Amino acid sequence: MYSIFKRAIFFIILIGFWELLFRCGIWPEYVLPSPVSVYKTLIRGFQDQTFIIGIAISMKRIAIGYGISIVIGIFLGLLIGRVRVFEETLGSLISGLQTLPTICWLPLALLWFGLNDRAIIFLVIMGAVLSITVATDVGVKSVPPLYIRAAKTMGARGWKLYLEVIIPAALPHIITGMKQGWSFAWRSLMAGELLIVCLGLGHLLMIGRELNDMSQVIAVMIVIVIIGILVDRLFFVKVEKRIRERWGLVKG
Amino acid sequence: MSEVVGVENSIDLDQAKVDSERQPSHKADGVWPRLRIQHVSKSFQSKNGKVYALEDINFEIQQGEFVCIVGPSGCGKTTLLNIVAGLEKADAGEVWANDYKINGAGTDRVVIFQEAALFPWLNVIKNVEFGLKLKGINGSKRRSTALEYLKMVHLTKFQNAHVHELSGGMKQRVAIARALAMNPEMLLMDEPFSALDAQTRWILHFELQNIWLKTKKTILFVTHNIREAVCLADRIIILSSSPGRIKKEFLVNLPRPRDDNDVNVAEYSMRIMKELKAEIDKVMKCEMDADSCVECDIKCTTEGVAKTDIGGGI
Repeated sequence: MYSIFKRAIFFIILIGFWELLFRCGIWPEYVLPSPVSVYKTLIRGFQDQTFIIGIAISMKRIAIGYGISIVIGIFLGLLIGRVRVFEETLGSLISGLQTLPTICWLPLALLWFGLNDRAIIFLVIMGAVLSITVATDVGVKSVPPLYIRAAKTMGARGWKLYLEVIIPAALPHIITGMKQGWSFAWRSLMAGELLIVCLGLGHLLMIGRELNDMSQVIAVMIVIVIIGILVDRLFFVKVEKRIRERWGLVKG
Repeated sequence: MSEVVGVENSIDLDQAKVDSERQPSHKADGVWPRLRIQHVSKSFQSKNGKVYALEDINFEIQQGEFVCIVGPSGCGKTTLLNIVAGLEKADAGEVWANDYKINGAGTDRVVIFQEAALFPWLNVIKNVEFGLKLKGINGSKRRSTALEYLKMVHLTKFQNAHVHELSGGMKQRVAIARALAMNPEMLLMDEPFSALDAQTRWILHFELQNIWLKTKKTILFVTHNIREAVCLADRIIILSSSPGRIKKEFLVNLPRPRDDNDVNVAEYSMRIMKELKAEIDKVMKCEMDADSCVECDIKCTTEGVAKTDIGGGI
């Protein structure tokens, strides 16, 4: 409770300082809008549904892209983690590609898919898939061999061994990778939407720029941050906590 | 516990002679031996050359028999158990279960490891259900079978607990329940109690004997603790180390349930150890830090301490 209180005071002071700067009138409004006008833009954006539509379109893209990257990432991670040949070949490719900023895939995406949704989804996938792959690989390698032996004597083999033992045992690592992948995916999505004009939150940002409407720019930025935080808090933090409790990594 | 009951002639040393000439017995009296190990050898490559973990091991286990394999660390007893489990391959020789040759792990031979190997992502009851789920048994049947075996190890109260909330002894009991729930023909136990404290082990020796009497499973139990072996087994097979060979077999005909601290059990242990002085020296050297009661027993024999006191608290 106390930390929430401190946080609230911090933000009130921050907004107060912002308002103060605005009132000094050093910068014109299209450089520094007042918090009040940002707030009004936020309200208006939700009332006339432009923000809601933007959020819906962005969420749809990330849901598809992130979903695909989870499937591909876990699959590749299992391959690299369990099969020596893939570790030696595919593994080096994956760690090499990790150094490539996601946005560098944009030209390739444009040439392959054109200026459309598929290019953006491709960017989202490339943003998230490597983190998930690497984390799954690490997770699979740290599964105690004893679990696998025990499962084998109880009749686990083939895909059931993966589904019932290896993936659940690697889950703490996989979740960490998914969390990291989510933030990469979210960034890639925004980058893609900024550069490929076809609705979505990133596009709303660009509209703000084109109209010289700084309060819309800031309002959309706030929405982007809040969605990022909400997904992290409502999903990943809770899942991680549950896993830690279950595995006995922290006291209740 | 039991009073002195024909202790004098119950160690049957003559019987124990290991006869490698013996042909693998076939359906004597129309029953296959539950397990038949024939000329099994296994070696490892180490820095200092080849290590013969097992060399020409031959023995049989009958249906419902409780057999302990005793030997010092590194004598290959765990390797032998893994070969029977199908988790490792022998370099030479064959292992037969009933009428089929063992080739890989199977649910007819479930292993209980030194560490319980329970899955931390499942709660207690789901751990017990694990093997049943793999067998494709449906939800309610699975749950009732799991509960039945959880009850056998007296842990129904903890069915919804997480694994990390259990003590070491409880974990092993869950592991036993999980193995029994599979209804295997054989239980393979690899030093399952050696990581537990003395009281817990004492309780589990009783529980395991009761379970064995109830279920009549064939059990192959590996331990380095001779007292434990005497307490549990019908027959004890002693392995020597490098190369791992069968050194001797002993039959134990004490009434059950036996108590670790029982005079007869203690006396048996001592007599086996006398026979095996040389091997015990090796054990001692190999396992200075082990928890075995070998040390105290030897002390007792050499100092002539009253036998009733032997290993009072192990």
